[in-house]
Amino acid sequence: MRISFQNISVRLGRRKILDGVNLETVPGQITGIVGPNGSGKSTLIKTLFGIVPKRSGDIILDGIPLSSLTRKQVASQVGYVGQDAACVFDFSVREVVEMALYHQNGDGRRAVDRALADLKIADLAQNSILTLSGGERKMVFLARAVAQGANAIVLDEPTNHLDIHHQLFILDYLKRSGKTILIVLHDLNIAAMYCDWLYAMKDGRIVDQGAPRNLLTPDFIQDIYNVDVGVMTDEAGALRIHFQPGKI
Amino acid sequence: MIRTGSRLRTALVYVLMTAALAVSVVLTIRIGSSQIPVRDVYGILIDQLGALLHGQAVGPGRWPNAQFQIVWNIRLPRVLFGMLCGMGLSLSGAAMQALVLNPIADPYILGISSGASAGAAWALLMPLPWFTGQFQVSLTAMLGAMFASACVYTIARLGGGGQIRPVALLLAGTSINAVMSAITSFLIFLAKSPESIAAVYNWQMGSIAVAQWSSLKLPFVGTALGFAVFTAAGRPFNMLMMGDEDALAMGVPVKGFRTIMFAICSLIVACMVSITGIIGFVGLIVPHVARMLSGTSDNRVIFPQSALLGGTFLIWCDAGARGLFGGAELPLGMITAFLGAPFFLYLLVQKKYGGGRA
Repeated sequence: MRISFQNISVRLGRRKILDGVNLETVPGQITGIVGPNGSGKSTLIKTLFGIVPKRSGDIILDGIPLSSLTRKQVASQVGYVGQDAACVFDFSVREVVEMALYHQNGDGRRAVDRALADLKIADLAQNSILTLSGGERKMVFLARAVAQGANAIVLDEPTNHLDIHHQLFILDYLKRSGKTILIVLHDLNIAAMYCDWLYAMKDGRIVDQGAPRNLLTPDFIQDIYNVDVGVMTDEAGALRIHFQPGKI
Repeated sequence: MIRTGSRLRTALVYVLMTAALAVSVVLTIRIGSSQIPVRDVYGILIDQLGALLHGQAVGPGRWPNAQFQIVWNIRLPRVLFGMLCGMGLSLSGAAMQALVLNPIADPYILGISSGASAGAAWALLMPLPWFTGQFQVSLTAMLGAMFASACVYTIARLGGGGQIRPVALLLAGTSINAVMSAITSFLIFLAKSPESIAAVYNWQMGSIAVAQWSSLKLPFVGTALGFAVFTAAGRPFNMLMMGDEDALAMGVPVKGFRTIMFAICSLIVACMVSITGIIGFVGLIVPHVARMLSGTSDNRVIFPQSALLGGTFLIWCDAGARGLFGGAELPLGMITAFLGAPFFLYLLVQKKYGGGRA
């Protein structure tokens, strides 16, 4: 699945939130978006689902303009895990994951069972969503996106509120899944570890893109975030970013 | 909280609720200023249903004419009318709570009832020459309800920059509620006759005493429409209850869906309140009781169960209204609050129910 954002602009009143953003995912790989708060990362991925209306530009899914697809067709191709989900009313974990089947006509119980098992939350299936921790809820919403059966999943800061075990579990799972992943991340070390390609955003624009090793240099991070960092490669060959407290 | 055997529990709850409704219809017909033995009520109903099934005209047959008239032409239409109103208000309550993502929403929160009140007050205090009596009151109440809903929708849409957000609907509804109540108060202030002012207060307290066979059509159409549409749309309603972002991402056309369902809710409530006046509390608590009893918020279950439960609840409230003080009828809205609130609080404490949680 190739998701292509072409010249996307979004305005909120007179304020430009996104200004001519171009971004393309690579099929079967993890594409990350990094950047400071308010740079437009979440807004960009929300345009894909019509959560935020775009003022201009096109979104293309595997060569087909989004505007020619129904909402159900989009849902069958791209799953979504947002930052927060309203949990006002009580549903069991299974009921939440079964919501993924809305765009399908057949019986999707097997897909639901598999998603629950893959995310290791099968034993929570009958629990109320309201009684779960923030991290457990995140796993449930990821399971729902997986059960949708889409070839691509878009995630908005999925590692927020998660302990390190669950952060690594989710990203390992996404890496192994073979699906096209578009992910908004704040943690640059996690981004360096898991993303195949990174886009950096600031002030509603894409300011640079590249493989993590090439993009995440001390000068570049200073430009984007205004912090001093050290970047090194460890013994295993992995990129490590060291932050220096007191240097802001 | 772990829920076990939920399918079996849901099926059992369905059976019990349906049986309770059927038994309640027979039992409540006997209640009123003239008490009729249950055996006679049952016999009259079976005889008439048998006659209808064989294409024959209904009539007293082996029963005294007075008893037949009370059961078949006075109490039965009233009980069925109460059942339909209870069903319609409960369905609208469950739908409204999902549409505005708020467990304390009810069919009246969006200003629909106060719009109906203003319309009814107009007809009762300053009757127009074109129509007469109850028909004019019902017509103006319905127009008032629909006008208030249209205002709420338009304001919510303008305030949301074209989107229909739950919070915008709630805030617009609260404001229109206040405006319509002020209009009703102003009309009462202008009124000269104490009798007409009393008529407005009586209307606002709700009653189904006017029910006849001919008055069943409107609530039947409203309730049947709500039952069919809401139950069929149970899945998108569920997704709406997870928030607009999630619903959009899972393929629900949120804006169109919310607009259509809001219009249907308004229509159902307008159908009911235009005839009955304000019957509060039913639409608020019945969906919560259904969630507590069935152990789920799944609207494919909650809509039908709210209808069954709401129908049963309102016919017992109406039986209380006409039976508790002999010949004097109590306002129905008062009974729904008196019976409903303690029962709801009991469940709240017993089941440790907190808001939308079952």
